[in-house]
Amino acid sequence: MPPYISIGGYSDPPRITYFSVEADSGELIALVGGPGSGKSNLIKSIAGIRSTGSGSIRIMGARPASLRAREKAVFIFQNSNFAPDLAVKNQLERRIALILGVPVGSIQRDVAVWCEEMELTDAAAQIPGQMNRSQLQMLSLAPLALTSPFVAVLDEPMANLSSLMVSSALEIIVSMLEKTSVLVLVQNKSPLVKRADRVVNLP
Amino acid sequence: MKGRNTYYFRESIILLLKTKWVGPYLLLPPMLAFMVYAESYLSAHGITGIFTLEQRTVLAIWNGSLLLTLIAGIKSCMFFSGMWESSWFRNSLALPVNRSSGFWGPYLAVLSVVSVIFILTTGAVVAALPEPGRFNIFQIIAESYIPVVWAVSMGAFLGILTTGIAGSMFFTTLLLLGFLTGLPIARLPEWIYAVIPPVGRIMTLGLQYPQGLIQAGILILHSTAVLILSRFLYSIGLKRK
Repeated sequence: MPPYISIGGYSDPPRITYFSVEADSGELIALVGGPGSGKSNLIKSIAGIRSTGSGSIRIMGARPASLRAREKAVFIFQNSNFAPDLAVKNQLERRIALILGVPVGSIQRDVAVWCEEMELTDAAAQIPGQMNRSQLQMLSLAPLALTSPFVAVLDEPMANLSSLMVSSALEIIVSMLEKTSVLVLVQNKSPLVKRADRVVNLP
Repeated sequence: MKGRNTYYFRESIILLLKTKWVGPYLLLPPMLAFMVYAESYLSAHGITGIFTLEQRTVLAIWNGSLLLTLIAGIKSCMFFSGMWESSWFRNSLALPVNRSSGFWGPYLAVLSVVSVIFILTTGAVVAALPEPGRFNIFQIIAESYIPVVWAVSMGAFLGILTTGIAGSMFFTTLLLLGFLTGLPIARLPEWIYAVIPPVGRIMTLGLQYPQGLIQAGILILHSTAVLILSRFLYSIGLKRK
């Protein structure tokens, strides 16, 4: 069985040089780096939406751009997780249905219940421009809570969250760890650094 | 997996049905009415020559096609550019979607919406004016649909190549040049006819019988070529650093 995530000799000069890490099921690994350290580029390379300069990246043994890799992983970016002109709740429904491979109608109730639990029902009905960054970032975590991916890669998932939402987000991430390998790209002060099984500094 | 080929098509349709995108097509009926009125006026005063009743119907169909081509081309440039250049679109490619559908989905969505508007416009013209006896109405409708498809393909090409505004300006210029080269009074160097897509000539020749089949063929080839080129540029865009 290949590792859930495997990064070997990844370089993104001048920010990252020869970086390697492997993660398996149930592991929460924090990749720590300051602003401009190449975290956002790294998640894009892991997601296969940016070419990898050198080194190799594999998700469950598959190349990141392949459909096989993307079927097993959920990526949460720091920004731009939603189209600006569409209601966030509807986008979440369609995305979660896509990840699970089920009709949209079958997950609408789950999304509604989750939004209610997070006290974001009203916010979710709006378009991204009408809500604050904290609400938007919390809503972007819905695919993590409502799907069970093998791999989750998150870029600064708590950077914009209000203090009230930080514990909810932490709970969502920790609750996934039974079967998921979680890679978080964060700054040193993130609460996820304390909770991580391993902390790796980006070179 | 369900929906991975149709995700972008559905997202695009939902976006395109917003007022911002569908609203400009509402300009079509008053613009068409004005053009038909202006042509009747000019014809009655002997400026454009006398049109027979059946030629007026054909002309009205071509007017509808030309106006729709203009609006569809501009809106396509804006839509494709806005979508393919946006961060959310790029990030959404991390979803388990067929990445090729990121090109074909929006393209087919725009083409579907524009085709519906074309059917409504042409249907209204055909219903309102007498059926032309000498002309094959289905052939005219089929030919007048070609510039509309061309506009969407050009929109995809320019949308992927440049900004929405720059693309729209280029498209409008090209369309107007194409239209001008089709006017009977135009006296232009021969090479221009090889460079400018024959969107005007297909119209003016469409007023004769048999209609401009060669021009229709050229326009289909041009649409196909820019579409293939756009798809190629989209692939390159996916691999960029």
